[in-house]
Amino acid sequence: MTSADTTTEPTGRSFATLKRWGQRHGWTLGVWILLVVLVVWYSTLIPKFGGFQVTNIINGGTSWIFLAAAQAVVVIAGGIDLGVGGLLVLTSVTGARLMDGQPFGVILIIAIGIVLAAALINGIVGWVITASKVPDIVITLGSLYIYQGLALMILPKVGGGSSDTFRWLFTGSATGIGTNPWPAMVMIAIPMLIVSWWMGRTRSGLSLYALGSDSNAAFLSGVSAKRTKITAYAVGGALCAVAGFSSLAISGVGNATTEGGNLTLNSVAAIVLGGVALTGGIGSLVAVVPAALILFFFNPILSALGVNPNQAQVVQGVLIVIVMMVAGLIEWRRRRRS
Amino acid sequence: MTEDPNVTQSDPMAVVDDAPGKVSLARQLSARPQIVLIAVLVVMILVTGVIEPNYLSVAGVRNSVLFAVPIGILAAGQTILMLTGGIDLSIAMIATASAYVAANQSPEGAAIAIVLGLLVGIAAGTANGIGVGVFRVNPLIMTLAMSGILLGLFTGWATTIFAGSKRMHDFIITLGRDTFFGGSVPWAAVVWAGVALVVLLVLRRTGYGRNLYALGDNAIAARLSGTRAWQVLVVAYALSGLLGAIAGLLLGGRVGAVDLQLASLFLLPSVAAAVIGGTSIFGGVGTYTGTILGALILGVLQSMLTFLNTGQAVQQVIYGLIVVGLSWMYTKLAASQ
Amino acid sequence: MENPAAPLLTTEGIAKSYGPVVALRSVDLTVEAGQVHALLGANGAGKSTLVKILSAVIGSDAGTVRISGEEVSFKGPSDATRQGISTVFQDPALIPDLSLEQNLTISGLERKDIDPWLERMKLSDLDFGLLVRDVPLATLRLVDLARALAHDPQLLMLDEITAALTPEQADLVFDVVREWKRMNRSVLFISHRLGEVLGICDVATILRNGAHVAHLDLDGVDETELVTAMLGEELASATPPSEESAANAERADTTDNDIVLEAVDLQFRGRVNGVSFELQRGEILGITALEGQGQDELFALLSGDHKPTSGDIVVDGEKMLAKSPYNAIRKGLVLVPGDRHDALLPQRSIRENLATPLYNRIGRWFTIRRDETKLVKNAIDRLDIDTRAASEVRRLSGGNQQKVTIGRWLVSDFEVLLCFDPTRGIDIQTKAQIYDLLRELAAEGAAVLLYSSELREIPLVCDRVLVMYDGRVVHEQEAATATEEVLLKAAHNLADTIT
Repeated sequence: MTSADTTTEPTGRSFATLKRWGQRHGWTLGVWILLVVLVVWYSTLIPKFGGFQVTNIINGGTSWIFLAAAQAVVVIAGGIDLGVGGLLVLTSVTGARLMDGQPFGVILIIAIGIVLAAALINGIVGWVITASKVPDIVITLGSLYIYQGLALMILPKVGGGSSDTFRWLFTGSATGIGTNPWPAMVMIAIPMLIVSWWMGRTRSGLSLYALGSDSNAAFLSGVSAKRTKITAYAVGGALCAVAGFSSLAISGVGNATTEGGNLTLNSVAAIVLGGVALTGGIGSLVAVVPAALILFFFNPILSALGVNPNQAQVVQGVLIVIVMMVAGLIEWRRRRRS
Repeated sequence: MTEDPNVTQSDPMAVVDDAPGKVSLARQLSARPQIVLIAVLVVMILVTGVIEPNYLSVAGVRNSVLFAVPIGILAAGQTILMLTGGIDLSIAMIATASAYVAANQSPEGAAIAIVLGLLVGIAAGTANGIGVGVFRVNPLIMTLAMSGILLGLFTGWATTIFAGSKRMHDFIITLGRDTFFGGSVPWAAVVWAGVALVVLLVLRRTGYGRNLYALGDNAIAARLSGTRAWQVLVVAYALSGLLGAIAGLLLGGRVGAVDLQLASLFLLPSVAAAVIGGTSIFGGVGTYTGTILGALILGVLQSMLTFLNTGQAVQQVIYGLIVVGLSWMYTKLAASQ
Repeated sequence: MENPAAPLLTTEGIAKSYGPVVALRSVDLTVEAGQVHALLGANGAGKSTLVKILSAVIGSDAGTVRISGEEVSFKGPSDATRQGISTVFQDPALIPDLSLEQNLTISGLERKDIDPWLERMKLSDLDFGLLVRDVPLATLRLVDLARALAHDPQLLMLDEITAALTPEQADLVFDVVREWKRMNRSVLFISHRLGEVLGICDVATILRNGAHVAHLDLDGVDETELVTAMLGEELASATPPSEESAANAERADTTDNDIVLEAVDLQFRGRVNGVSFELQRGEILGITALEGQGQDELFALLSGDHKPTSGDIVVDGEKMLAKSPYNAIRKGLVLVPGDRHDALLPQRSIRENLATPLYNRIGRWFTIRRDETKLVKNAIDRLDIDTRAASEVRRLSGGNQQKVTIGRWLVSDFEVLLCFDPTRGIDIQTKAQIYDLLRELAAEGAAVLLYSSELREIPLVCDRVLVMYDGRVVHEQEAATATEEVLLKAAHNLADTIT
């Protein structure tokens, strides 16, 4: 039983406000700072650091960012989506197959169609979860394999393509490699800002946080668990589709043998690094974006350090586990205190 | 005259069964899913026999069993972990890693090769267990990450530490590939039988098995009875690692040599076999007997799909649908009781 | 058609059961417009169930609810709010990880909707950017109240709102209530603080055992009269005393026995505020209290589930530092939890449930004990557990389940049995059997600490009784002479009025 001495919180005191801001946004700030630090460090490791390098990093990281965002949306709402990696592969190969040789206008329509379709099928996954009451993990493990299988059916062999304009949208060049980072940055910024605003300021978006934070209080506040969950998975699906497009734009072809499971793991690691609580209700896309980029960044950095690319994968894996463990400890301490 | 406002609508405690004679057929069947599974197995064998008449022979069944062996052993690990509400997504990679090490050490003799291979599995499993049990990392994440770490380790050291032999010792090959009784009973099946006996024993006739079920059924009650969860979990994941290693050795023996994709195909089926067999991902419910039947069903399914000439793509979709569909069904059955 | 002359809210024959357990038998309630209506009753009388039904958190099995004469049905909490009933729950329905501002958005409200009420409660300066989890509970209650009012309900339901509020804050709430009444709206006020009830409410409906037993005009009534009214008529279904219970006087005199458990000034997070007592071998010490007075936390401390923030637990002369229930169990302190959910493995058999503590040590992992069958059988026989549905404990009746939770400690050893409300919600026969067992165990030298919310059983089973209020022991006496009236008064912190 806590009895407050005052019923008002001190607001005039700038120290208290600063402290509170630090607690709320400290992690986000930390992640951005870490990203900057890593970029600076990287620039000292390689002989030449300029637009080319920056562009490569941003381009390559785009699909990681969107996949992490998709996972973040679902996890914040209290779920988890193991299928995101598979959906990325599926949308990427579907795009590769349908867009090959088409003019840009048609490609745009196809792209919109794929985004909507991805939202729809992942929304159905969300519906299955609420209707069956089977845990998210199991259903999405199944959806991961279904998506991968469908991808193989649609594009059995590596191939397909898109158009130069399409590739330019995501990479700033018609070949997937270039020196113009702005298109990718715009492609990242616009959806992220929109989704972020939606989640933090609108009633439907805040419902995701409500459901993930305290489903009972959410119920009492009139939040529909079913509708919220389905929405979360649908939005996640749409973001996966954009991730798939980015991947297609960079490589230029579709490859259905890409391991969706690994991509999913990376997305989970990225959101944990980005301060999203795996139990739900906590996190923001503002921190997930740099976190995903940092994880993508590991590989180039380790290469620059002269580490064997395969060993790099080990280091990355170990780092991911460490991030998880730290997050797990933080979560445990948070639970013990309450 | 009784009242208990704390009891909620969906209270699993509130089911009263004071007249056991009135149990319905559905309830009886769901209490003994093994009967249904055996029926499904028989039907599938017959159907496959219709598709390919040559299947209904010793050779045909033997092939299905051979395919089922690694699934069955890997699924033993999954069963143990799912009983606690966990899962092991690294078990296939552990199997591969163990096989790799065993192949590397094969020139030193079968004993050393096998022992070291098993140790790899136990070590990786224990690491998983510490992550999940002590650090409370989500089992999904921990094992997925372990999978990535192992892959990276072995890929990275392929040209250095593990640059040695890729070929398995003859003894292991015998266990993995050969048969006796004139080509009808594979040694691998015997190994599986041995593993099965031990697993069944541990689950049913040891205090540890009781702890596993208790932890999965109601972790709070287990804690209030003095069980310390982290101990049970570390051992559970270590066991899973050991089982993964055994499966890996048999697989490596069957193929004769190792590569990094050795066991990856078997991961999802190992989960599927446990789910088919009635082990609930929620924990506390499930038997290895059911899992064995699940693995056999998948073995027959594999034969069936091979005869139908379906590709890997369709198989993946089918496995995914099986996992989703059966979990749904079992959950519905459990809720209706 | 709304009938302006009809009462604001009436319920007729509301009933609710959970399986075999009856929470509400039949409740008729009438709340007039412009009335502050108290809902009273002891633990388990059904108040919280009724509130849940009226706020549409759960549905009722039978009965009707009318608003202004017209029958209504609710689809969910927000629907109930839309139809004119707004509730402030004991746990504010606010999302902990979001800010107050965001919580308003979720409720479909804006700051300006609640500003007038905030101002009334002197909260205008409250920073709405704060996360709910960083705001003290008392403030959250007030914000939740403002939010409920902003929906402009005809009926405002306040469930124990003044618990955890300072007197000043409580006054702010009362001020709001009076204003609401002036606006010809109504309030349903649930509280066990009888002083407050008399100060702010016009009438009271008293629930007992799931039905309404009295409706009082509170004009000129005092607290002890309320308590008497809450006791109601002595129901004929009092527990038939078994032969042993009648022979309470024959119980061994334990005053010279060793002290097996001692609590020294236990404190825990404001919920336990300095509890001390001694428990001797062969003794049954009873504890009783209203809901939420710290008894749950006290038992959690004693059973090793939490560590006290200060104070000591001394077992057999040695201080106990429990990091988990395992340590407490090793020291001989075992718990029969209040909620059967926490004690039982629902899908495992009776045998497995009874034998659980036998294998909690690594040394015992390797085999099933050869004497397990014998130990289990002994426990089943001694407790007379019905084993017909032995395969899954969740199929047992409530009484049998309770026996299993106690039985497991017969299988494994103990020194002190901590029993939390073991007879709550179970049938009369089983209750008697459990009483007998506890007395037998005490006679055999064990010690029992028994929390019970059923005041009548205290003198039947216990040697002494402690009454807790607000985390402290406010009354202590011999159990044999502890009447229900005395205990109820002490539980309401009116111990000084006991003659």
